[in-house]
Amino acid sequence: MEAKPNSIYRALDRKAAAITEFTMRQYRTKASTWVVLGVGLVAISLVMLIYIDVMASGFESIDNDGDSLDPDSDGYPTGQELKWGTDPYMDNSHPGLLTPPIEPEPASNYIDEDGFDYSITGTSTRQTTGFDDDGDCYNYDGTSSRKDRNQNGVECDVLLVQDRYSGQWDVNADLNVDEDPDDAAYAAEATHMAFVLGIGKMGFVLLLGMFLPLFLATGLIRDEMSAGTMHFMLAKPIARTEVFLYRILGYLGIVWPYYIALGILFALLSGFMGPGDGLFRFADLGVWLGIIFATMMASFVYGMLFCTMGVMWRYGIVLAIPFAAWELGMCLVSMGAPDASILRFSVIGWALMIVDAAAMMVWPNMDMFLLQGTTFGDDLGPIRASALALDFFYSEPGVGSSGLISSVFATVVLLVQGALLWFIGGAIFKGKEIE
Amino acid sequence: MMPDLNQEGKGQDQAWQPDLSVPAVLLEGVSKSYGRIFALSNITMALNGGVTGVLGMNGAGKSTMFKLLMGKLKPSQGKIRLFGTDPWKNPAPYARVGFVPEHEKMYDWMTAHQFVSTFARLNGLTRAEAMVEADRVLNFVGLADVAHKKIGQYSKGMRQRAKIAHALVNDPELIILDEPLQGCDPLARTTIMNVIRELGRMGRTVIVSSHILQEIERITEQIIILHNGRLLALGNLHSIREKLDQIPHRITIEADDAKQLAKDVIDLDDVSGISFPNKNNLSIQTHNLGAIHANLPKVIVENGHRVHTIDNPDDDLASILGYLTNGGGK
Repeated sequence: MEAKPNSIYRALDRKAAAITEFTMRQYRTKASTWVVLGVGLVAISLVMLIYIDVMASGFESIDNDGDSLDPDSDGYPTGQELKWGTDPYMDNSHPGLLTPPIEPEPASNYIDEDGFDYSITGTSTRQTTGFDDDGDCYNYDGTSSRKDRNQNGVECDVLLVQDRYSGQWDVNADLNVDEDPDDAAYAAEATHMAFVLGIGKMGFVLLLGMFLPLFLATGLIRDEMSAGTMHFMLAKPIARTEVFLYRILGYLGIVWPYYIALGILFALLSGFMGPGDGLFRFADLGVWLGIIFATMMASFVYGMLFCTMGVMWRYGIVLAIPFAAWELGMCLVSMGAPDASILRFSVIGWALMIVDAAAMMVWPNMDMFLLQGTTFGDDLGPIRASALALDFFYSEPGVGSSGLISSVFATVVLLVQGALLWFIGGAIFKGKEIE
Repeated sequence: MMPDLNQEGKGQDQAWQPDLSVPAVLLEGVSKSYGRIFALSNITMALNGGVTGVLGMNGAGKSTMFKLLMGKLKPSQGKIRLFGTDPWKNPAPYARVGFVPEHEKMYDWMTAHQFVSTFARLNGLTRAEAMVEADRVLNFVGLADVAHKKIGQYSKGMRQRAKIAHALVNDPELIILDEPLQGCDPLARTTIMNVIRELGRMGRTVIVSSHILQEIERITEQIIILHNGRLLALGNLHSIREKLDQIPHRITIEADDAKQLAKDVIDLDDVSGISFPNKNNLSIQTHNLGAIHANLPKVIVENGHRVHTIDNPDDDLASILGYLTNGGGK
């Protein structure tokens, strides 16, 4: 009938295409599919609205060191008086009395005037960094030792010390160095990253990645069996394990494009809305790629699992509920303790590792960025609050290697999980009697 | 637990050939029980070629037997072979089998053409081949003109024919039809019966079940009678009937003057008894149903009787089953 030989693989190919296409078409005709996809879209869009609202209203900068105030009411803010060496508490001592006289600056010049300057170069565990941008340390009327409170022999710097065992960096700054950073900029950046990671992990991987399969994959085989229509498929020369796999492929043919479309939409929205010098945050696309991929992998494993549960028992969705609770718990654990070994026994732990790995590759200075925010002050100002949020959603990939290796490793584990569940589900299906 | 990749393509790449020395269907001491209830008990038979009717009341085990044959159920005991292969373990012989399940639920959102061609591809056909094949089988069952309508809009008879078309894809050697006439209007019934007879003429092995004797009678003479999961009779319908003729039959006649008719009928040779269930009804007992039916019209016409109905109350499945179970069996 045709030129190419009818090998077994070509036949398999045709069967796969037939059942996959059939399954996708069947999904499209069901109202429940559109309801589930619609509810997912609405739920995640609500979170997006919150983000848009936060980004549009922006963050307010506050005067972290109080040097915009003028306690002696001489018209010169404290910061300007410190810069010129006059006494901010005496109204008969101010830069206007100097020759030539200095005009008073507006108080707003002394908000956000001394930003974070720390970054790490080299591998030393003890680094000096930081810069006193506004001069209120250098011009401070005091001894050298008072300008070097961290006692590292350098005046007006920030000392970074890395713990030998935990690898954690500790910040020890001299007085009035990097003490009034740009709250609005930091909070916007940290909030943006926290949002991307938060909605990626909780919204995409957990919510969409698990609840879509819960409603769409559980009945993939079970519904056909209880309706009796499975006979049409199984009356043909096809193994049940094949039917199982191809039905899953059809299910993925519906949910994967959905994830990809939604992920692209969110990447575009957050890329344009997010803070940054350019029009669009191109670098973030890498994180979104990780999020979409992680969601796809999670939905693959969950689909296999829930479909298996449906085959195993008519009320398989009941079995899925405790499992969903377990996964939610593991999701939270992975954010607090990403290297906890219990996470190895979950699906979401591995899926979130892909997101974390992508974030680590795209935002390489995350450690320092978080360190600045979380060690800055004790109050819950915009900087610290946003840094804590980011710290909650970000974790380093738990297998403790580079981002690329972690993501590949996690992907392989998820594929193995999915394949294992396919064999289990296929075996259970094979042993099922169909009425 | 590796998926059985090798067995699938066997139907297509011709590596798997049916053993011609084995029957299409073989059951050896097959039983199927659900707990303590036996849906089928100790069935032994072999079928090859021709149309075979499986008769039985609802719940007699017809569908159970078919599902066992199709590997949908696992026998509790015994051996089942489909072209010499265990259907529970190996789906390869399904390439040569068509199955029409009893279930009424279908994919209402598909057209018959989509339905048939989609599943035809599971036989290893390409998309284009499946389209051609679907046209062929839909034409065969007489659905060509409505092939592109949604199954949801079909009548019961059209749905049954769509199911049959689905089974006939790939020109199977064995076709199993579970109650294909159920719920069909007379026209669809005739069409389906013709299709089944035609398949028999084409040399296919056809197994068709029904709980109505008259339906089966019109299709085939080779029957199997199942009752309460047991095989009561297997063979030619006429030979089973002949056995039935050994026992008294009843013919009930509703006439204006039943008493006068009785006087005229009693003279016939084969009448062994007469009774009056009520005023206008006459019941004749006989050992030779054929002779009575041959002579009765003459008697009625010659004597100018007005007769409303003539009925053979024993000539249904329940009576046959009653005879076979109580009156001596196979």
